[in-house]
Amino acid sequence: MSESGAGTGAASHGRAAAVLAAARPAAPWRLGAGFLLPFALVVAVFFLIPAVLTVILSLTDVSVVTGLRDFRWVGLENYRRILTDPVAGLVLRNTLLYVGATLTLFNVGLALVLALATAFLPQRWGGFFRAVWLLPRITPSVVYVLMWKYFAAEPPYGVINQVLAALGLPAGGNWLYEHPWPMVIAINGFVGASMGMIIFSAAIQAIPREQLIAAQVDGAGTWALVRRVVLPQLRWPALFVAAYQTLSLLASYEYILLATDGGPGFYTTEVWALYAFHTALSNYFGNAQYGLGAALATVLVVIGLVASLLYLRFFNFRQLTQRPRIEVS
Amino acid sequence: MGGRAPWRALAAVLVASLVLLAGCGGQGSQAPAGDQEAGGAGSSGGEQGVQTVTLRAMTIGKPTEHWRFDNLKEAVDRLNQKLEQEGANVRVQLEGTHEDRPWDEYKQRFILAAEAGKAPDIILSGHEDVAPWAAAGHIIPLDEYVKDSPVYQDVFPTLWESVTLDGKIWGIPQDTEARPLYFWKSHLKQLGWTDEQIAQLPERIEKGEFTLDDLLDLAKQLQDRGIVPEGQGFWTRPQAGVDFYMFYLAYGGAMQDPETGKLVLDKEALLKEYQFFARARELGVLKPSLLGTDWSIWHRTVTSKQVGLWVGGSWQVAEWQDQYGLSDADVQDLGYALLPAGEKGKPGVTLSHPLVYMVTKYSQHPELAARLILEATNPEFNTRHAVESNHLAIMKSQLDQPAYKENRLLGDLAYMVEYAGFVPLHEQFGNYDQAIYRGLSAVVAGQMTPEQAVDTVVQQLQSQLRDEVIIR
Repeated sequence: MSESGAGTGAASHGRAAAVLAAARPAAPWRLGAGFLLPFALVVAVFFLIPAVLTVILSLTDVSVVTGLRDFRWVGLENYRRILTDPVAGLVLRNTLLYVGATLTLFNVGLALVLALATAFLPQRWGGFFRAVWLLPRITPSVVYVLMWKYFAAEPPYGVINQVLAALGLPAGGNWLYEHPWPMVIAINGFVGASMGMIIFSAAIQAIPREQLIAAQVDGAGTWALVRRVVLPQLRWPALFVAAYQTLSLLASYEYILLATDGGPGFYTTEVWALYAFHTALSNYFGNAQYGLGAALATVLVVIGLVASLLYLRFFNFRQLTQRPRIEVS
Repeated sequence: MGGRAPWRALAAVLVASLVLLAGCGGQGSQAPAGDQEAGGAGSSGGEQGVQTVTLRAMTIGKPTEHWRFDNLKEAVDRLNQKLEQEGANVRVQLEGTHEDRPWDEYKQRFILAAEAGKAPDIILSGHEDVAPWAAAGHIIPLDEYVKDSPVYQDVFPTLWESVTLDGKIWGIPQDTEARPLYFWKSHLKQLGWTDEQIAQLPERIEKGEFTLDDLLDLAKQLQDRGIVPEGQGFWTRPQAGVDFYMFYLAYGGAMQDPETGKLVLDKEALLKEYQFFARARELGVLKPSLLGTDWSIWHRTVTSKQVGLWVGGSWQVAEWQDQYGLSDADVQDLGYALLPAGEKGKPGVTLSHPLVYMVTKYSQHPELAARLILEATNPEFNTRHAVESNHLAIMKSQLDQPAYKENRLLGDLAYMVEYAGFVPLHEQFGNYDQAIYRGLSAVVAGQMTPEQAVDTVVQQLQSQLRDEVIIR
């Protein structure tokens, strides 16, 4: 009996020790690693493994013709073909134009304008307008581009031309063909602007009201408020939006695919990601070249990585991440 | 656009990689019995152990072309009766889809399904796919099933040629068509042409008295007289397709070397083709933004008689009646001819692009699949399809079908088959076409001179196809 009593005592003591041990924090790195694990898994499954597969695929001549059975390892042949491809340079220029213009005019530029404009409206109205600007993003891309197409179509079908005609202005032809670049940039920009708008709005709302009031007491008008108080505090969100959107613009092609499919004419609006898509998965007679497409995609990944590193250096990332002066909610 | 994760750059290739992974799981390996996905025999113990085999088919086309699938569906009974007479202990049923979607999507879906071992038993596609798909091992030769069948004797020999590669037959023709030059008789009357002159135009084209340059003149006159708007005197189809090779043929171009089977690019013919389009643009009869126009807008513009002369497909007449409200009176007003040759004295040209049924390598019952196709290939079924969708006969016996004879349009177009060229069977044809079509787009849009475009095309073909193309 006493033995058993002693036994239970020892057992309960052991349990208590175990509970205590469990309550003690583990080594800090282990806890951190635990939190990072799910994210690391996601990155591995959705980025690292596909990237490695892409690189491997880019060293082969896999295509519809070879199937997956009798392909050959061709080393850097696909990269050689990209270098000698008379179209690649044009496509690269298109990509820079597309990313640069969409980013500055819409994803950062318009986003900033919208955020500032709605920030000075009453809360309810500001929220309403921001919600309206989210519509393009939540509209299915096929429907959204179809609306643009009917907007841009030639007379008597297109809305733009109908409005111009009603105003007595000369109506053009089909806007998508007459002005492909402005249209492509606008179609993407109207979607892209909403993300920057939300981030900038949140950042503006996080600026302590005392600063704004103090500035106004000092006699600052709206313009001075924006320039001297608001904009300086948007540097970090601006970096984040610019970097993130650069990468997503580099990789995006679906709106261009639906709107102009790289036309009109000779690769006029064909960007690198679309070129990779066309090469790897889509051509009219169905002879898709996966290997060459993978090489094109690999080049795009490299461009993306280089762009990211440049942003980090250029905006002095370390300094920016030291102590946030604004909490972005 | 933004707000999407950067790794989407890899989306396209990721799909291919996944296919690669999926494909490792046994190419064409036996699917577990009862797995309907892979054309497996969903056997159902019927009377005295008769098995039912489910075959799957994929077809593509407009709603007016639904017989491409439904003919197979109706052939099931015919085949089952024969199987019963033979005392075979197997019966067939059919599943599958008839889709109205863009060609590139359709083909891509088949390829991805095939690489993943989920291909249907029967696939309908253009005859040019025989080359890449045979090379990739997606389809099987059908000689053993076809050669002894009465169908083999009945189908026009040129159509068998369009599916013959390395001396083997890889497909069974489903339909074919002509791609006429269309015009409105009433337009020409407004120009002061007599009925007789209008009626003679097709013949003059056939004989080579009316050339492509005359065509541009006529288009210009129609515009100058205000009968059609600027930039709409002469139109081609608005998207990529085989039509454009008619112009290349009209200037005497060759696409394939009969000796070696390699692709051929005749620089002079291509230059003349591009120059023709450049002239059309400079004359203002073909608007620079034509290539890339939406099909629906193209059809509406054409059917509202806003275009002078245009190159289209014979099947489009059915489409216009079905979807764009083309009345019977309008059909009477429609004139059609071969595409004129580039120089006087040469006959006009057209191009046929037969669609064909193929049996995939993944079918576990290739014999039943082939027999089903052969059952679906009969004068009655094919005529029904031809009349309803404005396609030409593929069998000699169809020409005696009353329904076929009564159809004025098909009767009028029948002679064109003699002048029809085909696109070549070559596994790299898709890439060859990509370069040539993009070059044409550049000329039509006015971004390049014909000479520059030809140089670019040559450069691209040499870089991409290497020794698979002969540049002349």
